Parts: sequence; C-alpha cells; structure tokens
Amino acid sequence: MKVLNKNKIDAVLNRLAEQSEVFVPMQRGPQSGFFAWKSFENKTDKLALDVLNVYLPPKNVVLPQTEKMYSFQQEGVEVKIEKVYEDPNPKIIFGIRGCDAQGIACLDQAFLTRGYEDGFYKARREATTIIANACYAPGPNCFCTSMGGNPAEVPTADVLLRDAGEQGYVWESQTAKGQAATEKIADLLEDKQVTLPSAKPVTRTVNYEGVAEKLKGMFEHPIWAKYSEPCQTCGICTYSCPTCYCFDIQVKNWGEEGYRFRCYDSCMYREYTLMAGGHNPREATVERFRNRFLHKLQFFNERYGTPLCTGCGRCMVVCPAGVSIVQIINEIKEAELDA
Amino acid sequence: MKEITNQIQSIAQRLLESGQVELFMAWEKGDFDYQSKPYFARTVEESKKIVFDKYSIHNLSNALLKYRDGHEKIGIVVKGCDSRGIVRLLEDKQFQRDRLYIVGVCCPGMKDPLQAMRDNSGFNPQPESTELANKCAQCIQPNPVIYDELLGTEQPAHLQGERFGRVNAIENMPVDERYRFFADVLSKCIRCYACRQACVACNCRSCVFDETKPQWVGRETSVGDNMMYHLVRASHMAGRCIECGECERVCPVNIPLMLLNQKLIKDVDKFYGPYEAGMKYEEGAKPPLSRYKEDDPDDFI
Repeated sequence: MKVLNKNKIDAVLNRLAEQSEVFVPMQRGPQSGFFAWKSFENKTDKLALDVLNVYLPPKNVVLPQTEKMYSFQQEGVEVKIEKVYEDPNPKIIFGIRGCDAQGIACLDQAFLTRGYEDGFYKARREATTIIANACYAPGPNCFCTSMGGNPAEVPTADVLLRDAGEQGYVWESQTAKGQAATEKIADLLEDKQVTLPSAKPVTRTVNYEGVAEKLKGMFEHPIWAKYSEPCQTCGICTYSCPTCYCFDIQVKNWGEEGYRFRCYDSCMYREYTLMAGGHNPREATVERFRNRFLHKLQFFNERYGTPLCTGCGRCMVVCPAGVSIVQIINEIKEAELDA
Repeated sequence: MKEITNQIQSIAQRLLESGQVELFMAWEKGDFDYQSKPYFARTVEESKKIVFDKYSIHNLSNALLKYRDGHEKIGIVVKGCDSRGIVRLLEDKQFQRDRLYIVGVCCPGMKDPLQAMRDNSGFNPQPESTELANKCAQCIQPNPVIYDELLGTEQPAHLQGERFGRVNAIENMPVDERYRFFADVLSKCIRCYACRQACVACNCRSCVFDETKPQWVGRETSVGDNMMYHLVRASHMAGRCIECGECERVCPVNIPLMLLNQKLIKDVDKFYGPYEAGMKYEEGAKPPLSRYKEDDPDDFI
C-alpha cells in the first residue's frame, strides 16, 4: 500500500502546487470552502481535510461563480474579439468528498455530452485532476447512498485517499491522470501495510426509486404549495449545491471596449425567467420552488439517467426556512395521485 | 414555553374555527429538535403542529409580503423584533392593519437553529452556537410593540455589552484599514441575496438589483460589484432597518451585515433623531429619510 504520512501533507501540496493550481478544503476565517493552496495563510486559514465537508462546494474550480469569457473592441461597425479566456492551466482538487465528485460528474453530463461541448468548461475540466478523500463518518444530513453514491468509493476520482487515522492516508491512483500526479510526489509516499478504516453507516436514507417517473404526474400537486410556503427565494440552496450549474451571460463595457462574462444564476430569482416583453412564467415562489425540485429529481434524470442531487445535505443545513429535500422526496413517494 | 405553545395553539384554533383568520403564521419543528421553522396553518388540525420554543427565531413578518395583494385575514405570532417588522410593513403601506390578528409574545431570547444545524452538520471544526443567538444579544426590544393579544411576561432587553460597540470599533479604524476590512468581508459575498430576501424592510416590488434596463449593479462577484450591492442595500435601510438581525443570521458566508445597518441606525438617530425605527405604529408616520419637508436644510446640494 502506498501511504501518505499526515505530517507530509504540506510537502505534497507544495509539490503539487509547483505545476498546478491546487484547491483544498479550508476554513478561512468565518468562510469555509475550497481555496487555492498557494493563498494559504497560517494566520487565518485551517486545512479542513478532517471535517466532514466545507460549506461552499468545489464546483467553482471547473465552473467559477464569475468567469470572464472574452473581451472585445468596437471598430467602426464591426466588433473585434480581442481575447478568449478559456483556462487550460492544470488544476488539482485535493480532498474532495464523494458527493462533490459526483456533483462534478453531473456537471460533466450537462456541459460535455448530448451533442454540445462547452469550451470554457471543457478547458478547465480536462486540466483538472481530482484527488478525493473517502468518507468514513457521514453526518446527520448525509444521504448520498440513497442517491446512488458510496461515500467510501469515488469511481470518478483520479486518486482516492483513505484516511487511516494516525497511520496516514492510503493513496490509491485510479486513472492515468492520477498516476501522473502520483509520480510527482512518489518520493513522499511510504510503502507499508495499514489497517483500512471501517465505514460508519449513512444513517439518513430516502427512497428515490420511481420518484422521477412519479413526478411526471405531479406538476399541479398541492405538495408544491405546501412546501414552498416558507421558502424566501434566496439563492443559498442553489449556490451551495455541488450540482446546480445555471449561469447567466453578462457584459461590462466602457465606451468602445468591454468584456463578456458568465456568472452563477439561480432559478429561485425572479430575474432568472423574466422575459424581454416583461412576462415571467415563474413569477410566484411556488413555481420557482417546484422547478428547482423537478430539475433535480425529474428533468435531469430523464435526460442523463441520474438525479441532480448527490445527497451532500448542504441545502438542508443552510436553508434559513428549513426546507428539506429529504422530506420532499418522502412526500413525493407517499403522495396520492388522482387516477 | 410549553405553556405559550398551548396558548398560541388555542388562539390559532379559535381564530381558524371562527373564520376570523384564514391563515395563521407561527413555527413548527423541522427534522431535528434544534430546528424550528416557519409554519402556515389553515385548519384547526394543522394548528396542532404549531410550536413556540427557544428556536422560534425566524422573523415571520417578512412572510406577509407573499400575501400583500390578497384579501385574506391572517393571524401571526410576533416577538419584539418581528412586531417592529409589522410596523415597518404598515408604515410602508404594504399591509392593512385590519387584515392582521397579531399575537405578541414577550421574547425570552432565542437560540439560532441555523447555528445548531451547522454545529451538528459535521462541517464545523469548532462549535459556533451561542447560548443566546447573536442577533438576540443585540436586542433592545424583546417585547412586542403592536399586538391584539399579548402572551408571556415582559422581558428586559437582552442587549449584551455596548449597543454600538462593534460600530464604534470600526469607526475608530484609520480610513485605509476600514476600507480593507470591508473589501475583505464583502469580497466573500456569493450574491445569494438571502440578506435581501430575509429582510422585512426590503419590500420593494421590483428591486434595483434585479433591474436590467439599465443594470444598476453588475452581477460579478468582484469586490466592486459586491460593495455596490451591499452599500446600496444598506443605504436603502437607513432609518428603516428594524434591527431584527435576520440578514446577518441567514448569511451563508458570515458577512457581518448588521455592522452596516447599525452604523446607519446610529447616524439616522444622531442626525435626524432621536429616532428608532418601528417602535410604535402611528398612522401616516414615516421614517426620517422617507419624509419631504420644504424647509429641510439643503446646503449640501
């Protein structure tokens, strides 16, 4: 077994950061998310590999909240594209959990399959190596196993770390990309036999089976009015979700020059569906709320064969109104449909 | 608090049964003991789920905005801060008093279910829960200021320490340091607009931040656009913030939003006061910056 001794983590991250931008889970002052290792400050930052997860998911590495796309210059009646900002620089996400890696697998589906490849996403994604941290102690809001995940196995990761406590991290390379990363730090790994941790069970479960199919007949069902009532239509759930990928394309210009960028957008916002003529097909909270859950549990599944929810539980932890996707899935299962 | 829960339940039952209200707003338990959340009862049966406990912190007055265009009569339970939110809505002419049956509860101070959820999530390296929720430790008005029925016994203010202590500390910073402080905390904003959505004073039908023609505030998560968002929002709160602290409580990236609001509360009181927003409802009354007087001094224009 190849094992990474815990006192060598800094050395490994430093080595990897020589050629790649390395993103690690950190507690940074009052913030908690994936930040660049090279920006790590002892004074304010703490590596968060030993907590369950961080609040902001790592999707920003492959899909930044704000991403510049191209800059332009007006020349007479023509517009010249000055520069396209696709980012092919090597990146590593270190310490991602299985639920968040599954989130990136969902983004891959949306941005790279079914006949269209998003160039900006593709450039970042192909340059990204995923080093996952297997999860052996799920929390009270985790329900990944119900959404098709397995916290201790991360098949889409390039390298999988298994935390064997004081004995270090077992380092398992799973792909060619993972092999390349492993070679860079091979001298920092030890060859020894360690006891693998035993996984604690995921205590929260929900039965998703048949939900996508059943939802086809539930567009007008009263559960949407009931569960959306406390919702305040903020974007916390969508922005803290490892799978939500909606974005808006915007422009900033000064006189004859400017740039176009994209930034996260949220189906919970009024502006999201506002049309040019002033009509809004999702004016009311209930309509936006329903769309969010139908996208997660029905539409995405119909198109790609998996739900757009990986069971990370973040939305339930951070929702100011206590909206619980687990409760909603349960309610869908139990709902009676008119014949 | 069990007794208050029973009293609220029986009031809700009475009002719903007699048809005096069609909807009754209170709290119910969520998935965990440490989670209480907004609840909307429409039948006597539903009213049995109502609870009032130490986690009933959510300010429900903001939820009235969803019903402002309707005609139904609504029962609502309010603590001190929430009741000031009702005054905000009445002064801003967003609701008619006669559509409301207000059940006031003298608030003993709450715990924050969001803090508790985070503490128990496994995501927090250290527990953050405080015995008294952060917003309650700033509370100057635990007792409802407007109600049809009052429950509980009158409470002393829960304010701990100096009222504008945090504001004073920031005011005393050198200008550059103060700028760096705000640039730093506001750069973390993810623009989820939870602060706006949770705010009862943010009751405009169309919001400047949603405008596209023209787009007043850019949508980038850059220091510039984020500052524009927060400073514009804070200025719109001047003289209108009822200090319920919901914006700061719900912020998922822990931005100290009440610093900006409290600075404006302090300044409005100093320059246009004495004034404390939403402490009393008088028909036609308006916050200082919402009034126009011909003899206002205007030398600065």
